[in-house]
This record gives sequence, C-alpha cells and structure tokens, in this order.
Amino acid sequence: MTRAWSVITSLSLILLLGGLVLKNGALLAVALPYLLFSLIPFWRSLEEPRLAIERRLEPHHLWGGQPCHMTLSIQNVGNNLEEVSLADVLPAGLRGEGDLKYHGRLWAGQTETLFSIVRGVRGKYEFSGVKVVTSDLLGMSRHEEFVPSAGTLAVLPAMERLEGLKISPRRTRVYTGAIRSRESGAGVEFFGTRGYVPGDPLRHLNWKAGARWDILITNLFEQERVADVGIILDARSIVEVRADGESLFEHSIQAAASLAEYFLREGNRVGLLIYGRMIEWTFPGYGRQQRSRILAALAQAELGEHAVFKELERLPTRLFPSESQIVLVSPLLPRDVHMLRYLRALGYRVLVISPDAIAFEKLFLPQDEYTALAERIARMERNATLSKLRRAQVNVVEWDVTLPLRIPIKQAMVGLKRWYAG
Amino acid sequence: MVRWVKRLTTTVNIVFLFAFFLYGRTGIATVGGVVNLVWAFDERLPSSIRRFLRVWALMINTAFLAYGAFSGVPSTLALFLAGSSLLSWNAGLFLERWGDAPLTIQYQYLRQLGTRVALGLLAGLSAATLQGHVTLFFLPVFLLMSAAGFLWLRIISEALKNRNPG
Repeated sequence: MTRAWSVITSLSLILLLGGLVLKNGALLAVALPYLLFSLIPFWRSLEEPRLAIERRLEPHHLWGGQPCHMTLSIQNVGNNLEEVSLADVLPAGLRGEGDLKYHGRLWAGQTETLFSIVRGVRGKYEFSGVKVVTSDLLGMSRHEEFVPSAGTLAVLPAMERLEGLKISPRRTRVYTGAIRSRESGAGVEFFGTRGYVPGDPLRHLNWKAGARWDILITNLFEQERVADVGIILDARSIVEVRADGESLFEHSIQAAASLAEYFLREGNRVGLLIYGRMIEWTFPGYGRQQRSRILAALAQAELGEHAVFKELERLPTRLFPSESQIVLVSPLLPRDVHMLRYLRALGYRVLVISPDAIAFEKLFLPQDEYTALAERIARMERNATLSKLRRAQVNVVEWDVTLPLRIPIKQAMVGLKRWYAG
Repeated sequence: MVRWVKRLTTTVNIVFLFAFFLYGRTGIATVGGVVNLVWAFDERLPSSIRRFLRVWALMINTAFLAYGAFSGVPSTLALFLAGSSLLSWNAGLFLERWGDAPLTIQYQYLRQLGTRVALGLLAGLSAATLQGHVTLFFLPVFLLMSAAGFLWLRIISEALKNRNPG
C-alpha cells in the first residue's frame, strides 16, 4: 500500500466514524466514494513482478576515463505489469549517462533494453542489481523489490609508456632478454677478450690485439638476459598527500603500472607487492597475462593503516629472488632509509621512484613566505634522505608528478649508466 | 489529457464550493475556492509544494464537504464535490509519477479512475436516496441503477480476468 492509500483510507474512516457517531446519514453517504477508493487494492491485488535481467559490459576492463558501454536487457517473464519503474543501482564511484531508469509498462514476454555509458575512476566495481517498483495506475498499491543483476567492471590505472630505463641486477634468468648479465656469450655489447679456442667464430677475432700479442685473440660479448623485477608500491597511509581531491597515491599507482608494463614489455619476470593495509602479493610472471594481473591488483590498490606495516622494516624480502632488482615506488620517509640500506646489503639492486610529495603539496598551498619557508625545511630533510640513499648505492629517481615520469627517468639514466658501468 | 482532466476537475471543485454560497457558507466557499484555484495551476510550483498542496487540498475539500453535509448543504452537492476532489487528487498523483505517459496509458488510467469514482458516487447517491435526501423519479433511478449494474459487472469481470491471466 502507498501513502496515498493511507490518506484516502484515513479520510474514509474519519467520515464513516463521524457519520456513525453523529448518526448522520449524509456523512455516511459521502464516505462511500472514499471507502470504495480505499478498497481498490483489496479487490485487485498487485502481481509480483518476475523479471529476467541481463547485464552486458563492453569492455569489462578499461582505463580511467574510458567509457564502458552497458546494456541492460529486462524481460518480463511473468504477467502484465501496468506500471513499472526500474532504476539501475550503480556502484559508488561510477558515473552513468543514458538510460539508467525506465518507467513504463511491461507486458508479459516484453523485453526492454536500456543503453548507457558508465565511467569511473580506478577501481573494481561490482554491480548488484536493479531496483524494481511496480504499482497500479491509480497509485494505491505498490510493490518494491531488488532484482539481482551481477556484473564486474575493472577500471585500470592510467599508464605511461616508458623507454630507456636500464637496470642491472646481479643475477639474471636463463632466457635471452635486454638486461646485461655480466656473463660472456651471445650478445652485442663488448665484454672482454680471451685466447682463441678452435670453434670460435672467425668474425669475433680481435685482429689488433692479436697483432700486438702475436697470438689469436677472440672478442667476448656480454649476454643479455631477462631478470626478476619486484615492484613494491608503498600504500601506507602515512606517506599519502591528499589535497583538493587529488591524491599522490594515484600518481604512485600510475608509476607502478607504467614500470610493470615497461619491464614486462622488455621480457622480464615481474612481481608486484602492495605494502600498506596488508601484504598484497602478485606472484612474478611474464607476458600479457601477468600485465593484466598486475593492473587488476593495482586497480584495487587502497591505502592502508596497519600498525604492523607502518614501517618498511616488515617488508617480506623472501618474496624476491636473491640479488634481483627491486623497484620501490614511494614518496619516502626519512626512516625508510634503514630498510633500503638493508636491501642493498642483502645483494638486491634497488631503484626508488619517489613522487615528490613536497612539490605536489605546494601546488595546493598559498604562495607566500610561510609556504616558501616550510618548503625549504621539508626540502632539506628530503634531500638529506635522498643523499643517504645514494650513498648506500640506492638509485633514486625523484619525480615531480606534474611532469611525465619518462622525463625524470631519462635524466636519471645518465647518472645510472655511469654507476652501472662502475 | 490527464493534465486537462485534473485542471477541469479542480475548476469543477471551485464551482461546487461556490455553490456553498447559496447555503450561507461563505467562509468555506472562499477558502476552498482559493485553495482549489492554486491547486488548479500548481504545475509551475516545485514538486514538494505540489505534493503538499495536493494532499492538503483534498483534506480541506473533504473537511468542507463533510461540514456542509452535516450542516444542511444538500448531500448531492457534497457527493459531487467528493467525486471531483478524488478525480483531481488522483490525476495529480498520476501526473507526478508518470507525467509523460503515452496516450493509450492515459486512456486506460482515466477509464479505471472514472469507473471507480463513478461507482463510488453511485453508491453514495444510492445511500442518499435511501435516506430520502434525493427525491425519487423513475427515469433517473432506472438510469442510475442500470449504470451501477453495468459498472459492477465490468469491475467483477475485470477482476476475474486479472486473477486468471491467459
């Protein structure tokens, strides 16, 4: 029953009781039209709707800002419905345009198709269903129910195509790749020389050295192989900077996605660890499937505040193969230096991509002398942290998030090449 | 079409309320007339005010017609005011839910509404006649009884049809 029914029933009862109490026939006669109106739901009960709802999402996975075409097919598999209202319940965070509601009649067997476009920010969204309200045309009775209609939409983080990021872990894997392995074999980079051994290809003979030493000398080349790369995304709430609806964490995610895509494109075995709320580990793997796994994990990444994972000390180093490459994406805290030094001591090569929290926060602060002073103090602390890391042979790429990531990487590679050579 | 039915029945309410002047109920006639006049042209008002006005206009009309019936205004006048108030109230309710309904739906709705209100009016008139408030002449009684019988048959057959679909 509806509120309108309550109003009309109350009026009819008041008139009826008034007529009976006052023994007034005219009042009783006047009560009859109201009474009849209030009896409508009793002589014509509302049918429960039986609807089959199918949801189609095209595509299931999309990048942030990209539209997803959603089709909702609603078929009435029950009896005629005089008036029906359908409202698709979108998960929080998704924006929809187009036919998200329907109001009309649905005859038995009739199918209505609603087309809409949904967009959302990074995340995984589970559609629950459709709210269905049926009522009679006079608005006296109403039936409301929720018809489930599942669907999952993953909005992947935005990515940037990176180029020319060189890493040099101590240990590589057996497959041919793009990372110098510190072992001689088939390759293009000069590695060294040795005495000729029968079977060596003649085109590798180093004639100048042979003339000097009067023996046959062969050039050696450095093998290029694939490596294990572990990407660690710092998802501790303590390192987050949020202002004006913008989040530094989103930039970190974007960097982690870009790095994963780059290392996988280069043929490496890549794993992802999201460190913050808990330890979310994507087991290392190769290729496109692994890229999808990592992006799906990043799509769901959330900041977390956990007493255990407040410090980087709890980083589970055993997850990463020994002497492999670790890439940490973190705005960094001064006290994180200790753990990164420890990783270096264990033999890992460590590269830190550090979104510049100070430059990011400054964008949202008033440009006055106090901000300038605060920036100077914070910058001094950050520079001290970064120089401590550099002294510990941790490579640091400092990233002003207003610039594309490839620019600071390109600048940093000049120094890194020199460092790897050493 | 429902929109025009609502406008028309609200205007009819005003006419019926003004008839109260003839019986010396000038206060009721004036207040009721003003309320119904606002109600008749409420389409440009915000929906929350419209909703409020619809319910209160119905309640005011009901209170006035009940008072009128109690204090000697003819029952037929009170009954017709009740019928037209119900029509305009329910038409307003329909317009709020489904303002752009197709014409076929509007026809179907008006048929259902007209049947119910007519039946209620006939029942009320029958009661008034039994109490001697209405002078009995053969022709109007015959017409009323035939119409009531026809409507009852329509409603019963409709109810049966809906209970056994297919």
